[in-house]
Amino acid sequence: MNQAGTGAHMWITSQPWRLWGHQIMAIVRQELKHNFFTRRGTWIYLLAFGPVVVFAIDAIQTPGCAPCSLDEDTSLFAATFQLYYMRFGIFFGVMGIFAWLFRGQVVQRTLHYAFLAPLRRELLVIGKFLAGALMAIVLFGAGVLLSFSLVYWHFAARGYDYVFHGPGLHQLAVYLGVTALACIGYGAIFLTLTIIFKNPIIPGIAMLGWETFSGIFPAMLQRLSVSFYLKHLSPVSAPSDGILALLTVVTEPVAVWAAVLGLLLLAAAALALACARIRTLEISYSSEQ
Amino acid sequence: MSGQAQNRIVFENVSKFYGEVLGVNRVNLLLSAGVTSLVGPNGSGKTTLMNLMTGLIRPTNGAISVLGIAPSEPEKLARVVGYCTQFDSFPPSVTGREFIQDWLRLHGFNHQETSRLAEDALARVELTEAAGRKIAGYSKGMRQRIRLAQAISHHPTVLILDEPLNGLDPKARAASMALFEALGKEGMHVVISSHILHEVDRISDEVVLISSGYIVAEGKIPDVRTEVKEHPMQILVRCSQPGMLASRVFAQNHVVEAKLQNDGRGILIRTTNADEFYSLLNRLIVEDGMQIETVAPADDDVNSVYQYLIGSDGERI
Amino acid sequence: MAVYKRTYRRYDGPLTPQWSRFLVLTRYSLYTLFDSRPFTAFVVLSAIPLLLSGVLIYLSHSPMARTLLQLPGPIIKIDPKFFRQVLLNQGWLAFLMTAWAGPGLVAPDLANQALPLYLSRPFSRAEYVLGKMGVLFLLLSAITWLPVLLLFGLQAGLEAGWFKENYWIMGSIFLAGMLWISVISLLSLAISAWVRWRMVASAFLFGIFFVGAAFANMINGILNTSWGHLLNLGHLIFGVIWPKLFRVAVDAAGANPHARRPHLPPGMVALAPLPIPLWQACMVVVVACAVCLLLLNRRLRAREVVRG
Ligand SMILES: Nc1ncnc2c1ncn2[C@@H]1O[C@H](COP(=O)(O)OP(=O)(O)OP(=O)(O)O)[C@@H](O)[C@H]1O
Ligand SMILES: [Mg+2]
Repeated sequence: MNQAGTGAHMWITSQPWRLWGHQIMAIVRQELKHNFFTRRGTWIYLLAFGPVVVFAIDAIQTPGCAPCSLDEDTSLFAATFQLYYMRFGIFFGVMGIFAWLFRGQVVQRTLHYAFLAPLRRELLVIGKFLAGALMAIVLFGAGVLLSFSLVYWHFAARGYDYVFHGPGLHQLAVYLGVTALACIGYGAIFLTLTIIFKNPIIPGIAMLGWETFSGIFPAMLQRLSVSFYLKHLSPVSAPSDGILALLTVVTEPVAVWAAVLGLLLLAAAALALACARIRTLEISYSSEQ
Repeated sequence: MSGQAQNRIVFENVSKFYGEVLGVNRVNLLLSAGVTSLVGPNGSGKTTLMNLMTGLIRPTNGAISVLGIAPSEPEKLARVVGYCTQFDSFPPSVTGREFIQDWLRLHGFNHQETSRLAEDALARVELTEAAGRKIAGYSKGMRQRIRLAQAISHHPTVLILDEPLNGLDPKARAASMALFEALGKEGMHVVISSHILHEVDRISDEVVLISSGYIVAEGKIPDVRTEVKEHPMQILVRCSQPGMLASRVFAQNHVVEAKLQNDGRGILIRTTNADEFYSLLNRLIVEDGMQIETVAPADDDVNSVYQYLIGSDGERI
Repeated sequence: MAVYKRTYRRYDGPLTPQWSRFLVLTRYSLYTLFDSRPFTAFVVLSAIPLLLSGVLIYLSHSPMARTLLQLPGPIIKIDPKFFRQVLLNQGWLAFLMTAWAGPGLVAPDLANQALPLYLSRPFSRAEYVLGKMGVLFLLLSAITWLPVLLLFGLQAGLEAGWFKENYWIMGSIFLAGMLWISVISLLSLAISAWVRWRMVASAFLFGIFFVGAAFANMINGILNTSWGHLLNLGHLIFGVIWPKLFRVAVDAAGANPHARRPHLPPGMVALAPLPIPLWQACMVVVVACAVCLLLLNRRLRAREVVRG
C-alpha cells in the first residue's frame, strides 16, 4: 500500500518552499477554524469592542456634537488608545489568544497530532503565530477602526473634513499600524513564554509589570519592552499627569523606522527562541494542571 | 548508515528517565519488517518506547533510527511513520472526516489527493458512514478506529500502534488483526503494543518482551524460547501411570517440579534441561515399557514465555 | 439453592461528625499549598508590612526610641486612616495570594473529573464549596484582618483612653477584611470552576480588576460620568465601601486626567461627576457575588452533558 502515495510524495519532497507554504496555510486555516468563533473567546470580543460601545453611546448622547471640541475628542481617543487598548485590551486579549495556541493543545491533549505530522516544528510555531496575529489584528484593528469612525462620525461635516481633508486619515493609519505592531510584539512574546514556561501566567503578569514600569529604567533596558517602541509611534500624544505619565511619556525620541524595526526584531528574536525550544519539546500531558 | 539500518528500526543503548522515574533502560533493539509485538504489563515502558521512536519524547541516552531517519527530524520521519497513540483525545468539534483531512493537509497533499486518501483510510476501518458525524459523539471503539484510520491514511511504511485493540468488539478486533497481518505481509513494519498476549502472538512475526523498563527477550517466538533456556520449561506428559513417572523423574536434578493433572492421567513437568528430560523419557519408554499417550511442550506460546520472564501471570483469554 | 458465605462486613465503627466533614478538604488543600516552598515564602513575606506597621505604632508612642533613632516628633498619626491603609496593603497581598492559590483549588478537580468522586461520597456540593472556601478564608484572614486587629490591640494598649474613642475600628477592620476576602475568594472559585484551567483563571482574576479599572476609567473619561466605576470592583470596595466603614472621606471619583470637560455657557462652573453612592456600590458587589454563586452552582455538578 505504500506505493499509493508516491506520486504525491514526489512534488512534496522536491519543492520544500512550496510545501512549507502549503503547510503553514494548512495550520493557519485549522487554527482559525478551531479558535476564531468560539464561545470560549467571547471575552476577547468584549475587550476589542468594549470601547466601540462606549463611543457609540457617546455619539448617540450628543448628536451633532455641538458642545464638544474636535481637538479634545482627538486627544480623548488618543488617551483611550494608549491607556486602554495598548495597555490592557490588546495586552490581555493577545495573551488569551496566544497562550491558547500551544497550551490549549496541551490541555486538550491534541498537540501530538501536530508533532506527528511531517512538519518542521518551526513551521508549526510560525503557522500558529500567523494565525494568532491574524486573529488579534483583525479583532483589535476592527475595534480601533470602529471607535475612530464613531468619534469623528458624530462631528458630522467637521469630522468628515478632519478625517478626509485633515490629519485624520494619517492618524488612523498609524493607529492601525501600531495596533498591528502591538499584536505582533506581544503575541510573539506570549507565544514564546507559553513554550518555555509550564505556567506562563506568572511571567505574563511579570511582563505586564515590566511593560508598565520599564519607563523608569535606563534606556538600554527599555528597549526590551514592547511599549517602549509603541510609545514612539503614537500619532497624537495623550495628555498625562501623575502616575499615568509614566505610561505615555516619551523619554528620548526615536525615529519611527527605528521603532518599527526594533519591535519587529524583538518579535523575531522571541520567535527564534520559541523555534529553538520547540525542537526539543516533549509531549507530556500527565504533569499538566 | 549501513544498508541494514535503512530498513530497520534501531535502538542503540537507549535510556529514558522522566526525572527520577525510569521509563526504559539500555534498550538495544533491531526491528525488521513484519509485525512486531511489544508485550509487557502496565507501566513497563511500551508507550515510552513508541514515543521515543516517533520523536514525541527524546531519549536521555542513546540513539534511535527509524529506517535510517532520526526521530528528531519529524519532517522526514512522519512521512514514513504512522503512529496511533494511546491518547484518546481529539481536536474540539471536528467530524471524523475533517479529522483525517486536516491531518493530511498538514502533509502537503492537495485537495483531491487528501479526499482520496481520507476516504481510502475511512473505508479500511469501516467508518465511511459515520465519517460525517462529530467525533465527540463517537463510541470508544469508533474513536479507536478513527485514530487507526488517521495513522494509516498517509500510507506510511512504519505503523506504530499503541494498544490498538483496546475497546474494540470481537468483530472489529478480528478485522483489525487481519489488517495488521496483511500490512505486515506487504512488507510494512507494524509495531503493536499489548498486554493481551493471546491476541498478538498469532499475528506477530516477532515479540519483544519488556518489564519494568528492561527488554527481557526479543525475537521469533521459538527463538525467544531457546534464548531463555536456563528458565524452567514445562512439558506435559499424558500417560497411564503418571505417579510412577513422577517418582522416576524426581531423581533427576534438572527437574524442578512435577504436578499431577487432576484427572490422574497426566503430569506437568518443569525442567531446566529439556533435552535431558526427553532422553530420560525415551529410556523409560524403551526400558520400562511405560505407556505414553502424548508429550507436548506446554508453553511454546508467548504467554508462558511471558510467565517465565516477567514472573507474573499473563492474562489468558 | 445458592449458599453465600457471609464474610463481607460493612464498616460500622465510629465516624467523624457530619457537620465538620468538609474540613477534610480544607485540611488537605492547605497541606498541598504549603508543600510549595515559594508559596510558604510568600505567606511569610506578606507579614513584613505588618511588622513594619507594628514598629511604626510603637515608635509613635515611644519618645525614648525616637530619640535613640534621632527621629523628630511623632512620625505618623495612628487613626482610622492608618488602619485602612494597613488593611489595604494587606488586601492587595491577599489578592495576589488568591490569584495564586485559589484557582488551584477547584480547576484541577474539574479538569480531571474528580468531582464525581467527591460527590459520590456523603458529601454535598455546598460542603465541597465550603471546604474549598475555608482554605482561602483561613489563609486570607491570617494575613488581613486578624493581624490588623492585633495591631489595633497594640495601639490600644500603648495609648490610654484611645480605645474608648476608637473601639468601633475593630468592627470596621473585621467587616472590611471579610468583605474583601469573600469577594475575591468567591470570584476565584467561580472563575476557576468556569474556565477549568488554573493559569487562565489566575489571568482572568487579574483581568477582572485591572481591565475592569481601565474600562471604568475609559467610560468615565469619554462619557464624563462616574458610572464607569460600577465596573471597577476594586474601586467600589476600596474607594467607596471601605471609606464609609472607616469613616474617612470617600475617594474622589473621576479624578481622570482624560475626562472630557463639559462645555458650559460662560459663567457656569462644571461640577465634577458625583461619586458612586454607597448603596449602588453594595448592590454591585452583591450582584457580583450572586453571579459567582450561580456559576458555581452551574459548574459544580457530578455529571455534565457534553454538547456536540
Ligand atoms: N510523563 C511521565 N512522567 C513521569 N513518568 C512517566 C511519564 N510517562 C511514563 N512514565 C513512567 O514510565 C514508566 C513506563 O510508562 P509507559 O507509559 O511507557 O508504560 P506502558 O508499558 O505503556 O504501560 P501501559 O500498559 O499502562 O500503557 C512508568 O513507570 C510510568 O510511570
Ligand atoms: Mg501505554
